Amino acid sequence: MRAKFGKVEVLKGINLKFPENKVTAIMGPSGCGKTTLIRCLNRIHELTPNAKVEGEVILDGQNIYSPQIDPVAIRRRIGMVFQKANPFPTMSIYDNAVAGLKLNGVRDKNRLGELAEKSLRMAFLWDEVKNDLKKPGTALSGGQQQRLCIARALAVEPEVILMDEPCSALDPTATAKVEESIVQLKKEFTVIIVTHNLQQAARISDYTAFMYLGKLEEFGETTDVFEKPKNELTEKYITGKFG
Amino acid sequence: MERLIDSGLEELTVMVFKMGGVAEKALSVSINSFIEGKDYSKNVHELSEILVNRTVEVEEKSFGLIAKYQPVASDLRIINSYMKVAYDFERFGRYAWDISFVATRFNAKNSKCDEWIFEYIRKMAEQVLQMVQVSINTLRRLDPDLVKNMTEQENEVDKAYFDFLDKLVEQASITNECTVSSVLVVRYLERIADHAMHIMEAVVYVATGEKVTLR
Repeated sequence: MRAKFGKVEVLKGINLKFPENKVTAIMGPSGCGKTTLIRCLNRIHELTPNAKVEGEVILDGQNIYSPQIDPVAIRRRIGMVFQKANPFPTMSIYDNAVAGLKLNGVRDKNRLGELAEKSLRMAFLWDEVKNDLKKPGTALSGGQQQRLCIARALAVEPEVILMDEPCSALDPTATAKVEESIVQLKKEFTVIIVTHNLQQAARISDYTAFMYLGKLEEFGETTDVFEKPKNELTEKYITGKFG
Repeated sequence: MERLIDSGLEELTVMVFKMGGVAEKALSVSINSFIEGKDYSKNVHELSEILVNRTVEVEEKSFGLIAKYQPVASDLRIINSYMKVAYDFERFGRYAWDISFVATRFNAKNSKCDEWIFEYIRKMAEQVLQMVQVSINTLRRLDPDLVKNMTEQENEVDKAYFDFLDKLVEQASITNECTVSSVLVVRYLERIADHAMHIMEAVVYVATGEKVTLR
């Protein structure tokens, strides 16, 4: 896959297979193309003016960039959680959790209730909010808001969850809860997470990809990458000997 | 660019290297005490105690570095290996003390051991001490190439140990003290050679990331 902003090539030929029902962490210095890569995976990248993508993303044997594929439908199958928690400010906790479902036409209240509880449980938030579902989503703490966003992404039952630095604004306690939920999520979903936090990548991921200047320099099992990286650039990056 | 962990790793390295020097000294003194029939047990005991204490210090330093910096890759391999190497040096000290204890307790020199026994042990000890020196040099230079041929040397030491037992059984004339003391010393030498190999394996792991068995 190659991606450009105008004439600037940000992804310079990435070829990568994300293992199913595993957590894959993507790490690399700022500007290496991590975020662009995951934004290409659910076609959000193309919403940016002047952005171009060349290549294929195969999900269940189908290229999601085929002309006959509806990008909106793809984004339901490949959900995304962003760096900053972004609950809809005018909505309650409950409405936030089911927002995606309603957009996808689910109207049955019982069904909505079931899926709201299921997704909030999977995001490890249910016990903390079950008696306050009518309160505004923005009334929650930063960590709870991020888990609400995870629940919102899970409610539409995607196959893949993309996460872009989901804990960068959270304190260690909130981070630990989000990390716990990510590790649990892989039982049902394939998780791909961009992180600058190397210890987080080591803690929660099964596989790690290291990117540098728009290229994939190393991909392997996380324990191998952190114990005996094959690539000298990876070694320098994770040990802090970079530049 | 100097990293925050670098000074800690350097301190750890110096601690382990110093242990190597102490361990080598303890071994050579103890072997001399057996061959010369002199009592150096107090001296060797002191060196052994230093190694025991240093091992604890290396462990504490290592845990501190892990807790503070969460090292990965070559940094993690160094810490992990140095903890193991410190233990191997501690074992060198312990075996040295054991040898000097045997030398004092049974005083083989005065127990009318046959000369071939001293010659055998002297030769075996030379080979084992050379392996110990190679292991320490390998560690100092972090050079896995230095371990070449060490597997053969280790096999030779193993063979020397078993050959010695066979030879002793054939020699009915020697005294009980001589039998007990020489068997123990030869056994300790064989174990020391094993620990030298552990150190070399640890160096290969630090340098390459590969876990090898050289024995």
